[in-house]
Order: sequence, then structure tokens, then C-alpha cells
Amino acid sequence: MLRPEKMTRAIIVGSIESLDVTIECLYELGVLHLIDFTEQDEEFKIGQPLKSASDASQKLLKLRSMIRSLEIDEHRPETKMHVKEIKHKVEQGLVTLDVNTSSKSEAKQRIQALIKEKESENRALEPLRTFGIPVESYEGYDSVTVFAGICKSDPETSLASKLKQYELFKSQRKNDLAVALFVVNDGRSEALKVLSEHGYQETKLPKLKGNPADIIERNIADVGDLEKDLRRIEADIAKIRKQFADFIISSEEHLAIEVLKAETPLRIATSANSFVIDGWIPAPNVDDIQTALNSLCCGLAFVETVPREEHEEPPVKLKNSKAVRPFEFFMNLVSTPKYDEIDPTLVMFVTFPLFFGFMIGDLGFGLGLVALGVLMRIKLKGYPELYQLGAIIVAGGIMASVFGLLIFGEAFGVPFHPPEGSPGERSWEVIGSFPLHPVLEKMHDVKEMLALSIVLGWLHLSLGFAFGFVNHYSHSRKHAFAKIAWLLVLFGLFAETMIFAGSATATSDFMNSTVLAPLPDMLTNIAGISVSIPAVAFMVAGVAMLPILEGPMALSEVIGLFTNLISYTRLAALAVGKGAMAFAFNTICFRLMFESGNMVIAILGAVTLVVCQLFFVFFLGALSAGIQAIRLNYVEFFLKFFEGGGTDFSPLKYDRKYSTIAKQEV
Amino acid sequence: MDVGTGLMLIGAGIAVGVAGLGTGLAQGQIGAAAVGATAENPKMMGKGLIMLVLPETIVILGFVIAILLWLKS
Repeated sequence: MLRPEKMTRAIIVGSIESLDVTIECLYELGVLHLIDFTEQDEEFKIGQPLKSASDASQKLLKLRSMIRSLEIDEHRPETKMHVKEIKHKVEQGLVTLDVNTSSKSEAKQRIQALIKEKESENRALEPLRTFGIPVESYEGYDSVTVFAGICKSDPETSLASKLKQYELFKSQRKNDLAVALFVVNDGRSEALKVLSEHGYQETKLPKLKGNPADIIERNIADVGDLEKDLRRIEADIAKIRKQFADFIISSEEHLAIEVLKAETPLRIATSANSFVIDGWIPAPNVDDIQTALNSLCCGLAFVETVPREEHEEPPVKLKNSKAVRPFEFFMNLVSTPKYDEIDPTLVMFVTFPLFFGFMIGDLGFGLGLVALGVLMRIKLKGYPELYQLGAIIVAGGIMASVFGLLIFGEAFGVPFHPPEGSPGERSWEVIGSFPLHPVLEKMHDVKEMLALSIVLGWLHLSLGFAFGFVNHYSHSRKHAFAKIAWLLVLFGLFAETMIFAGSATATSDFMNSTVLAPLPDMLTNIAGISVSIPAVAFMVAGVAMLPILEGPMALSEVIGLFTNLISYTRLAALAVGKGAMAFAFNTICFRLMFESGNMVIAILGAVTLVVCQLFFVFFLGALSAGIQAIRLNYVEFFLKFFEGGGTDFSPLKYDRKYSTIAKQEV
Repeated sequence: MDVGTGLMLIGAGIAVGVAGLGTGLAQGQIGAAAVGATAENPKMMGKGLIMLVLPETIVILGFVIAILLWLKS
């Protein structure tokens, strides 16, 4: 619940002969968080990979190169392949399959390169096609320079005025002009200048001989043949892909697991005759390991538990019930709690939907969110984070519906009944009279909503300080008692806020007559504001304790605590803001729908309303309410107690998705 | 509605408007940095989000003042 799983430091010692069986057994159980061995001495060295490592990694390399050349990285086999079958097939046919695949894929690449080459030759020769000059004649002169390429406009007149000896070939194309200019070396720079003015671009000619037109035609015929070959090879590759994709993916997974296991000795200590594996095991699993080792290693390896030393920080495996677990998503976004810290996931499970529901507070949007969350749970099983988020959205949606139904009495921004103040407002009464009446009207009871937010804030922050007290109590009493001082300051602030509000809201009235009733009723008036002397006394007492317990710098944070408390009024702000937005869209569009008298405008109005409500109120509203609800937890709540920085519990284990293994084979 | 009430309502508008502007200025820079950090290391997302939403308190304070003024008017 509020604490992570209890961990036991365990050392597994055994004879070196039983090392591979022990490793296999640990991976199968998946409960040991290995501590890497680093401090070598004369007796104990880092272990050598198991014998199977090099063979398995060579095969793995082959399989991975096949996956690349067959382009099947995204392929997901539908059935799981048995490891026995994988081993058999890998021994039998991997080499042939590899040779076959790589020769085909090399041939494919070669042909593709050839096609590319021919096509680029054709592109280069295309402009010179009509000139009838062989390609080799464009170069190799001592006294003549050749410019062959493309101009944007005709350079002939400028050339004629600037050059004496030259010969120009040109042919008009769709958007430009192909030119070939032969000029004596003296006029070279002048010619280049003129050509540049006409947007000249040089064409790089291929090293070929013969007439460009003939070459182009020959190339076109060659490309046709090559493409035929390419199609044949691709068909062959597709055949291989169809036949072997499942096998290749499954055996890649199996061999990756084999390599992982075979390389594990690199993380543990071994001597000539023995090995030592050091790590953490969840306390309830220690016996499982012992039983498994006894039966598999025939007494050659056993587990020893050692007490935890003060400086050691065990890995953290959060322990929450199934309903609460999706909320660990929020912890993953921040940081894993330390082993000795309180895990606040359970609190998030309560406060996030509560805050979210309060801010959305609408039956229609709430049910929409539930549907969205359920859809995510069904469709996005392959994406663990979004899958978790789906559950969170469902929880938020349920609370939003509850608030909408029981507290605010509205659906899709339209109230069940017109508010008392404005009986003309549109409501669901048009369709039918709903027996529930709102306890609070978002748009009219703003003061009440503010007071409620402050009360929620006080409770949430107080819980934060209480957690802070528990977290610090074991290692620093002084810091723990500082949290009590903060609680006093917070209580003083809260009492003053409530007494200031007096009987203006039902919430403050209720608080004053219950929680704050024992406070003596001593009020004084400072600058027109009624100040409760007992509330100020609480604040002063807390503030006086802080410099002693937390140092003088803590005083600067007292104002911060006040802003923290006020910060919770965002709950009311968002609820009212969202309600106002929905109300505004409804008012504009209902007028179009019901009062225009024109069918087209009415339909346009209805469409606009649906789009605006869906996008602005449903999605943006849910997004901002979600972010604010997380923020109140992360900033206001967590900063009162949470340090984080724990190590995640990551045991030795593997996940077989496309291969299976029978237990007795392990 | 008398002039005093009108001035109060204008004051309420200024309170929430200018506070929002301040928050926006602060969040713009923090947000850019946070997105950069998250691109480097996705685990920074939570920390980035915390930093990003810190200045929001400014606009909330503006909002509270605006509400108090509005209720008084």
C-alpha cells in the first residue's frame, strides 16, 4: 500500500559446475535484482560467459541481418513456436537460409544500383540527344573547351557579340534550353561569364562512347530487363519471407534470451571452483529460490540472507493493489520513491480522480471520458503507458460523472433545471424533468466553490506534512518535528481564511462550527480585515519553531505555503471556467439552432456546437483539468515530503512473446 | 452601475489579465527548456512538468483577487 515491497539482501553461493543451472533457475523465477560485481581480488574474478555464448551470438547476428534484409522487423508471429522446434530448425537450416537470403538480398541491391546508374546516365545524356555528337567528343581537346548543359534562356546573341571562334549547338526543351558550346581556350572565361548570365548549369557527362541517342535507347532496354530480374528476385524474397518470417522472429527472440543468460556471469563473482551471486530478493520470494535451487542443483548451490546495512539502498518494487496500480504511471513520470519513503500512489488514486472530477463536474463529458478510457483499455493493450492512462481516464471520468450528477446537476454544459436566478435559461427540462437538483451551481456559487477548494487544499497539504513527518522520523527527529511546525502554520492560515470568510459560504460556516469550533472566538480588526487571534497564534508558534528545526531559510517559505493553499483555488477556477466555456458555446449555438427558423442555419449551428464542445470543452478541458490535478499532487503535495531517486527493481528475467518452453526442459 | 463598481470590475480584469501575461512569459521559457530536457531523457517529463506549472500560481493569485473584487462590486 503506502510502502514498497520489503526486500531481503541475498547471497547465492554454489559450485561452479552448477552456475549455468543456477542462472537458468534465477531467470525462470524472475525475482532476483542482481548487484553487479566490480571489486575483483586475487580469489574472486568477474566470471566468463557460458560456453554457449559465442555460438548463440553468432547465430543471433545472422538472424538479425536476415531480419534487416527481409525487412521483417515489424513482423509479429501469430503463434508461439516451441523452443525444441526452434533449436532443431536453427541447427538444420540456419546456414542455408542465411546464404540464400543474403545472396538474394545482395543481388537485389546490385540490380537496384545498376538501374539507378542507367537512369542517371539517361538523365545526363537526354539534353544532348538531338545534337548527334558522340559522347567521347565532348572532351579531350588541347585548344578547345566544351560546355555542355542547360541554360534558362538563349545565349546565342550575347555569345556572338563577345566571342570570335565558337560553335554552339542548342535545342529547345520544355522549360529550358539544352546547349553544347565548343569554344577556343582564349574565349573560355568570357564564354562562361555569358553562359552564367543565362542561368547555365553544367551536366556531368558519363564516361561512355557512342551516340547519346543510341546509348539512351540501349539503357532503356537494359533497365526493362533489369526490372524483370528485380521482380523475380523480389518474388523469391517474398517467398522466403512468407515461409520463414515466423521462424526467424521466434528464434531471434529465443537466441537473444540465450545470449542474455550466457553473458550473466560477466556480472557475478567467480573463483576457480565456486561462484557468488549478490542481490536483492522480495522477502516473500526467498523460500521460492531456495526450493528451486535445491531441486535443480542437487545441493550444489544455496541461498544465504544477510541483514541490510545502513548505507545500502535496496531496489524499489512498488506494492499496490490492482485498482491502484495504473496510478503508478504518475510515479514513473517523476521518480521512483526511495526504499524508506512512503509511496504516494494510493493518495494519487484518491486525489487525482477527485480533483479531476471536481474540475470537469459534468455527467455528459464524464461519461464521454469513461468511454474514451474504456476504448483505450481495449485498443491499446500493446502500449503499456497508454493502457495505464486509460484506467486513469476511466477513474477520472467516473468521478466527473458523479460530480455532474449529484453535485452540479448538469450534462454537456446544460443544467438539468434552469438556475433559480434565471428561469429562462435552457435546460434538460426541454426533454424531461430529472429528479435530481444541483447542490452547487457552478456559475452562481463561485464563493462556495472557492471555499471548498481551500478545504481540499488544507486536507491535502496536511497529509503531505504528515507523510513528511513519517519519512523523516526514522533518521532525523528534528526534521520530522519541523513538519509539525509547518502543520501549525498551515492550520493557522486555514483557520484565518475560514474565519475571514465567516458565514459567507456554507463551507466556511460548517468549518467554523465544527473543526474550528474549539478555537476561542477572539477577533480583532486590522486594516478593515477581521483577524482571528488564535489563528495568528498558531502561525506565530509554527514560525517560531521553524528557525530552530529547519534553519532560518525556512522562514522565506512561509509565504510559499500561503500561495500553496491559494493554489488549490484553481479547482474552482477551472470548474467555473470550463462551465462558462460550455455555457458560451451553448448560448451562441442554441440561438442558431432554435431561433433562426432556417433549417440550414440550424444544422450548421448544431454541427458547430458539437465540434466546439468536443474540441474545446471535452478534449482541452480534460487535458487542462488532468494537468492541474497532477500538478496539485506533484508540486503542492509531493514537495512536502517526497524525495525520490530510488532504484527500480529490475530482476533477472526475460519475456517470451513468440516462443514457448516447457517447464521440465528448464 | 456606478463609476466605482465599473472601476472595480476593470481592476478585476487587469488583475487576471496581467497576471496571466506574467505566467505566460515565464511558462514560455520554462516550457521550451523542459521540452528540450525531455527530448534528451524522457524521465525528465515529470520534473519538467513541475517546473512548467510553477508560475501558474501567479495567475491563480490574479484570479482570486479578481473574484474578490467582483464579489465586492
